[in-house]
Amino acid sequence: MMQAKDPRISFLEGIRILDLADEKASFCSKLLADMGAYVIKIERPGGDPSRKRGPFLGNSPHPERSLFFLYNNTNKLGITLNLGHPEGKGIFRRLVSRVDVVVESFSPGYLKDLGLSFEILSRTNPKLILVSVTGFGQDGPRSQYKSCDIVSSAFGGQMCVSGSPSTPPLKPFGEQSYYTASLFGAIGTLLALKKRAQSGKGEHLDISIQEAVVSTLEHVWIRYFYENIVAKRQGGLHWNNNFCVLSCKDGHILISLHQQWETLVEWMAGEGMAEDLTEERWKEEEYRQRHLDHVIEVVQRWARIHTVQELFEIGQLMRFPWTTVCSPEKVLESPQLKSRGFFVEVGHPEIGTSIQYSGAPYKFDGCSLDRWERAPLIGEDNVQIYQKELGLTENELQELSAMGVI
Amino acid sequence: MGNGILNGLRVLDFTWVLAGPYATRILADFGAEVIKVQSKKTSRGAESNLTGYFNTWNRNKRSITLDMSHPEAKEIVLKLIEKSDVLIENFSPRVMANWGLSYEEIKVVKPDLIMVSLSAMGQTGPWKDFVGFGPTIQALSGLTYLTSFEKDSPLGVGYSYADMIAGLYTSLAILSALEYRDRTGQGQYIDLSEYEAMCTLMGPALMDASMNQREIFPQGNRPNDIPAAPCGCYKCSGMDRWCVIAVFNEVEWKALCHVMGDPSWTKEERFSSLLKRKENSKELDGFIEQWTVQHSPEEVVQLLQEVGVSAGVVQNGEDLAKDPQLAAREFFVELNHPVLGRTTTDTTPIKFSDYPKARWKAAPLLGEDNRYVYLELLGFKEDDLSSYIERGIIG
Repeated sequence: MMQAKDPRISFLEGIRILDLADEKASFCSKLLADMGAYVIKIERPGGDPSRKRGPFLGNSPHPERSLFFLYNNTNKLGITLNLGHPEGKGIFRRLVSRVDVVVESFSPGYLKDLGLSFEILSRTNPKLILVSVTGFGQDGPRSQYKSCDIVSSAFGGQMCVSGSPSTPPLKPFGEQSYYTASLFGAIGTLLALKKRAQSGKGEHLDISIQEAVVSTLEHVWIRYFYENIVAKRQGGLHWNNNFCVLSCKDGHILISLHQQWETLVEWMAGEGMAEDLTEERWKEEEYRQRHLDHVIEVVQRWARIHTVQELFEIGQLMRFPWTTVCSPEKVLESPQLKSRGFFVEVGHPEIGTSIQYSGAPYKFDGCSLDRWERAPLIGEDNVQIYQKELGLTENELQELSAMGVI
Repeated sequence: MGNGILNGLRVLDFTWVLAGPYATRILADFGAEVIKVQSKKTSRGAESNLTGYFNTWNRNKRSITLDMSHPEAKEIVLKLIEKSDVLIENFSPRVMANWGLSYEEIKVVKPDLIMVSLSAMGQTGPWKDFVGFGPTIQALSGLTYLTSFEKDSPLGVGYSYADMIAGLYTSLAILSALEYRDRTGQGQYIDLSEYEAMCTLMGPALMDASMNQREIFPQGNRPNDIPAAPCGCYKCSGMDRWCVIAVFNEVEWKALCHVMGDPSWTKEERFSSLLKRKENSKELDGFIEQWTVQHSPEEVVQLLQEVGVSAGVVQNGEDLAKDPQLAAREFFVELNHPVLGRTTTDTTPIKFSDYPKARWKAAPLLGEDNRYVYLELLGFKEDDLSSYIERGIIG
């Protein structure tokens, strides 16, 4: 069926998702909501615990000002519901019968203990796709272990190769393990929907955050399996010794060490700083790799007489993959990100301001991603969902509220 | 190849090294027919078919050879496009257009094609021609700067993480575009920037910098915004062995103290609440390490997890290969490669409940599927194929 391109129709329009996830996987349904899926976030009465996570707008801790929560829940609707209460369970099952997907990040077995296992939810909705994102997955000897970002990062292998030999292993900044698992969760959701379209049946997807980390380690276990090498941390020097972080007059630059070697030496020599690197033996990459410390020392002495901006601009003109090591403030000034409209202003009328968010990393020619609604306030859409969608009366809603269900 | 869900979906794959191949690997794992376009000239380094790196990122795919620099290659590519659903490339902008294969030209042949251009910076903007690899993008996004213990010595993440993230976003974008095509019949051109992909994972920090106008510093293993103390990485017995511990409340704190044998320092006023422990975390970490160094990381973690405290072993490549949790879930599997022999690869973190065991295949040899693609799919005659091979267009 062909029809005219309608920019108002978004990619995932018509897909309905309930989001029960906390900080571990709220990014999963955000990715889908940002592409047009209809996502209802279900929070416990009083609000999701991840609302207590900083940083906060204006540096003042408040459940409606958590930038972490706001970022991870754009374009979702929000309701409150106590899943521990018998009435709450009934309402939850009614909601489940009306959606395609539930995303959750409770410890394995938690939903089952509540009487809301996948098997039971499937009876309510045989086409339901349940996406479970947990530290180690639903089974295996470690499935009941307590996890958090640093635990996933350690067990997953991120930390062993980050940091320098003189420091402890280092966790990547931000909740990278959660984001990675959420990306897999979102991809899995779309695959499961496609599978359901063929089979007519639902699915329980079991995403392990540890596995998400292990699957995105690039070289770490490949080198072990193929070369018996146990990769170690080596500070600002990239694992393959091809890139390193150096100091300039006014900050740090990331440079490549071996690409276009002769051009680099010529450049340094032109400024009288190449020292012995002009000698023939350094032209061989293998020799340079064996005496890497010396190469880095000489290039470092040269880099230090320059500003970061000089090396970045001239380097890129000469096709070197170099760049400033940017602080977040510097990222905000990026002419490239600005030119592409990467940052989006999202209105927050109740605090009388708009907030600048990172947008989406893709541009689609036939479909716009211009719907940016801020995350829901606690229980913001209770009336809309419970009264208009489920058909509860105002009185019923008040009663449920009095019982602590909503 | 692979199993089921995406059977019938054909992907023409012009990507190389990591980000692009990782994206198409996910599609291939779930049954798409991914045809990787290679040539003798480009099959070097990370794109050399007989390396572990290539075998890992290109399993379940087909390989054909085609020398794109030859003027007759374009006609062949257009024939392939007619038979494909998705085209993906990660050249620098302009390369496809120089071959006469811009989206505008391609969609004439195949109006509902989904085409993805994955590049370091995106197809537009003042930096569109800048050169960048994973480490470049990590430095540009703020990740390298913030992944450190102190402001003046950025360390960063020890691998090309940004490439993996860009690969994940690319496969997500393709699946979304397919969902849209199924519903509307419309194709799509997708311009995906690896730089932006990495920046989306710095979301809250970038909002903090823009809204609170304050300088954000690297925070090592003790992020300010994580409500845990102690929270960190501690030395254990053995050569370069480490564990991590994170304590989120008083119950967990008491459990940790008990496991350590309730030494007298744990009762000091300065460690009596989460806030105070956070304020005095340096001293606290020193004390904790006095205990952890007496044990292996596995011992520490077992002791602490038994009493409900979050703790982990800092696992290296060897630990991962032998990890009982990963083994129980059959995360690593063996694939037979015609030349490399028995090789080990990861499966996928996307685990379906009732899915038949993967019928996976190692990465292809260079041009392994030339006969299938050119003869069966495109219907070339044997003579045509020989002629293309003789003239170096294929091969």
